[in-house]
Amino acid sequence: MKIVVQLAVAAAALAAGLWLWTTIFPSPQHVIRARLNEMARDASFNSSQGPQEGYAAAQTVGNFFSTNVEITLNAPGSPGRTLTGRDQIIQTLIGVHESVTRLEVDFPDLNVTVGPDQDSATADLTFRAQVDGTRDSIAEEMKVTLKKIGGQWLVTHIETVPVLT
Amino acid sequence: MPLKTDNSLANPLPPNANGSGSHSWLSIILIGRNWRFTLVRTVIWAVLCIIIFRVVLVRVEVIGVSMLPTCPEYSRHWVNRCAFLWHGPQRGDIVAIRLAGIHEMLLKRIVGLPGESVAFSDGHVLINGAVLNEPYETNTWDWEQAPVALTNDEYYVVGDNRTMPQQDHYHGVCPRYRIIGKILK
Repeated sequence: MKIVVQLAVAAAALAAGLWLWTTIFPSPQHVIRARLNEMARDASFNSSQGPQEGYAAAQTVGNFFSTNVEITLNAPGSPGRTLTGRDQIIQTLIGVHESVTRLEVDFPDLNVTVGPDQDSATADLTFRAQVDGTRDSIAEEMKVTLKKIGGQWLVTHIETVPVLT
Repeated sequence: MPLKTDNSLANPLPPNANGSGSHSWLSIILIGRNWRFTLVRTVIWAVLCIIIFRVVLVRVEVIGVSMLPTCPEYSRHWVNRCAFLWHGPQRGDIVAIRLAGIHEMLLKRIVGLPGESVAFSDGHVLINGAVLNEPYETNTWDWEQAPVALTNDEYYVVGDNRTMPQQDHYHGVCPRYRIIGKILK
């Protein structure tokens, strides 16, 4: 019985040590996942936000992108669209704030792969958005490319991944 | 040599017969006569439930009308992820197709198998040039599509609702790795 308790204490100490280590020194995958989830939270809004808050929120979301970011959207059933540069993305987000009263964005499936140089990464994710509180949601698979610029992981490219061809 | 007394013989009634003993009816219902066996049973059931309802079966809710009338919008179904362990997907199977993961999926019916050619003519599916018999189809529209050749790892999937415009209906070639299971009817 004593050895069981000792083993349990050792396992608990090991788990606590691992948790502490990953908290203090998070892996790039962990950092990118947290950053993308934070971006999704910041991109979400509800009707209680005013125009000024909407503008500020769009600026906040814009900070997740590099200045020369490119977003290529090819959702089925809608014409393709390409957004180029952080400013255009911010303007688009402001437009979304003006035309939509409520938006919930999340990435329920998020797989991050860090490049061998440790300064670039790709994230294969499911983008899910609910507009104006409707039950129907928009879901698209997307490939997000990130680069470490100035110590921060910034999105440099996003493209939709066709599920059916 | 000390003699052992057998209380069960001395007392014809069990100690909890009047509900006041350590094994009252409430404790028997809650934890059973032997708490160790109950604990083991509970753990086994919990593990089985987790395996079945997290790994083997996935609950899905239909959003959209592309699978009408077979799967009405907002209807709920179970997807069996082990359906294709022993054999590949078959024609007519309604399958779940994953996006980046399994939290969001497409629900479609397989009409074309690997190596076949799939086309649409006047709303009917043509497999290698022959019209496919689809008893689940009640109404069709004027869908037209040139033949698409499938490789050895590709299936052609489409929803049952062919009464909607073709350009509004997401259908096409699906690689095998995206098919995660078959819905239970």
